[in-house]
Amino acid sequence: MRIATTVLFFAVLVLAQSAASETTLTWWQFWTDPTIRPVIASMVEEFEQANPDIKVELTDLTWSNGHEKIAIAFASGSGPDIVELGSDWIAQFAANNRLADISPDVAEELKEYDGWSMATYDDKIYGQPWILGTRVLFWNQDLLDRADLRDGFLPISWAHLDTASHRITDLGRDIYGWGSNTAEKHRLYKKFMPFFWSAGARVYTDSGGFCIVSSEPAVRALRFYKRLHDDCGYVANQRGIEDAFLDGKIGFIISGDWLLKRIEQEGHSLNFRTILIPGETQTEFKIGGRSFMGGEFLTINAASENKEAALKFVKFITSPENQLRFCKANKSANPSSKTAQSNDYFQNDPNLKTFIAQLNHAVHPPVDPDWVFIESELEKAVESVLFENAGPGAALLDARINIAKLKEK
Amino acid sequence: MSQPRSTGFLLTSPWILTFLLFWAFPVVYSLYMGFTDYRLLVEGYRWVGWENYRQLLSDPDFISSLKNTFIFVLGTIPVTTVIALALALLVNRQFKGRSLFRSAFFLPSITSMVVIALIFTSLYQRGGYVALLAEMVGQDPPVHGFLYDSGTALYSIMAMDVWMAVGYYMLIFLAGLKAIPDELYEAAEISGASSTRQFFSITLPLLRPVALFILVINCIKSFQVFVEVFVMTGGTFDTSTAVFFIFQEGLTGAFQIGYASAAAYVLFVLIAAFSALQFVLMRRRTGAW
Repeated sequence: MRIATTVLFFAVLVLAQSAASETTLTWWQFWTDPTIRPVIASMVEEFEQANPDIKVELTDLTWSNGHEKIAIAFASGSGPDIVELGSDWIAQFAANNRLADISPDVAEELKEYDGWSMATYDDKIYGQPWILGTRVLFWNQDLLDRADLRDGFLPISWAHLDTASHRITDLGRDIYGWGSNTAEKHRLYKKFMPFFWSAGARVYTDSGGFCIVSSEPAVRALRFYKRLHDDCGYVANQRGIEDAFLDGKIGFIISGDWLLKRIEQEGHSLNFRTILIPGETQTEFKIGGRSFMGGEFLTINAASENKEAALKFVKFITSPENQLRFCKANKSANPSSKTAQSNDYFQNDPNLKTFIAQLNHAVHPPVDPDWVFIESELEKAVESVLFENAGPGAALLDARINIAKLKEK
Repeated sequence: MSQPRSTGFLLTSPWILTFLLFWAFPVVYSLYMGFTDYRLLVEGYRWVGWENYRQLLSDPDFISSLKNTFIFVLGTIPVTTVIALALALLVNRQFKGRSLFRSAFFLPSITSMVVIALIFTSLYQRGGYVALLAEMVGQDPPVHGFLYDSGTALYSIMAMDVWMAVGYYMLIFLAGLKAIPDELYEAAEISGASSTRQFFSITLPLLRPVALFILVINCIKSFQVFVEVFVMTGGTFDTSTAVFFIFQEGLTGAFQIGYASAAAYVLFVLIAAFSALQFVLMRRRTGAW
């Protein structure tokens, strides 16, 4: 009896000891779609099997309140060890010392991944690029054929896009050349910025950081965008535009890889193509257009007590193999890993290949903790031009003045 | 005596604790926050005195959201009240299928606001049923749809809100109508009073307490309009309201809790003033109740 008690005592002691040495990581992430959530869960399981001393607690966030939930958690000191952040949010969290600087830990991986600049604030890296996101031009080939734009017509410049959109609009009632976003917050500017950047406009000067959103190229871009909107636009929210495009009512729309997923999942038989964002001028041998780029990053809480384990997990999830698994399951077209990008899966599919190519011709917004305000000012300018007939120059000048005032504070 | 008192405290303590923790404390704390520059992600904050309130009064977005809120309140409350009363009078009569009509009118008010907002978003879109209806009566609908036009977006949301709310207030009016003694109408009929006279001399005066209740409740609810705006327009096309402004400033973007708290207190003062005004006006007409 005494021996049994002693054995039991030591067994409990050993169990307690092993529980104490086990690290539990908390990870908050946004991928809840049934096509991808099981893959995420299986990756976590594999990591735990390979690292028996580390357990990972997975928490799902939603896009509707995820940002708010993360901010509240960090502010109250109860943030997770690892959190997925959108590129637009990183500067805000980094500037307030909420994220761990991982620069020394990723020095050897800089060449393998795209997107580091979006996670770099004050010359320090605060997030590991995971899945990036860009937009390309989709078009309905049947409408192009009906508009007599055959013989290998490619919308590679604004003039091409303009001509084709007008000719498609002229096809008749309920057919539109261009899908134009309504005043949707956080979306409208993403549709305008490709034109803004393609015209050579910038938000700030390279040196000095002066706001130049009302430069001549920016005004030109907004004037062209307004022309497409007024003459050829089917105006709706992003979902509405995509619905109309899939119904064969719209010639051209700018969209992301989620549309490819939707087309496949819903079995649409639409005769569509994808191409890089057109440049302002015709450039047959040079790509002139620039798209919008954003992305999802895995970041580590500055207050985490398990930074080493967290970094190990982040590197596991974002490894080229796991990115490929993720992209195949989710039909995502924008892995940050260059090894994954060069995989046949992307290179043999013309539409996925377009997205991969566009990543090299895409620009991301400045990494600025005040970006939410700047974005809002830009959206107000675009909104006032599209829907209240304000002059592009005056609207962008107002935006510039407001952004400058904000920066002075 | 002390035992029943302590038992009473013990039994009500869950509610008292919940009240203090989740209602009273946030209310007082947000008043304090309104005088600071507290941002959720920024460590520490400063006392800024009345600066947030001064800034609010010169913030065009806040002024615009207040203007929209007043349009919403002043536009929906009278219409909702009159239609609710009319419906209550209608379904108070004896006719076949009366219960069905009562249920049908009441149904929207127990349906999820988000669901209704999504349905109406579809109805209001370009080529939707409302646009078709407008064309049928010879009116040109907005080119891109009712919710994508600054001239119609807010009014479209208001129309939906009226449709949704009338059933609930109809039921309250109906309860008020049932409480009026039949003898009064019998006496009026014997005296030769017409139906119109009976309505203005009996029904309306005796429904005044109910009407005041409806006005105050509807007023508070209308000042707090948020879900409809959030779902249908996201505050664009000149539809941002005071609560939507507070949500945007405090819980999105830069998480300016201090600034949003100040805006919440401005709204609180406005609702209190508006409710007090309604009490005074109704009391002046009827004397003390």
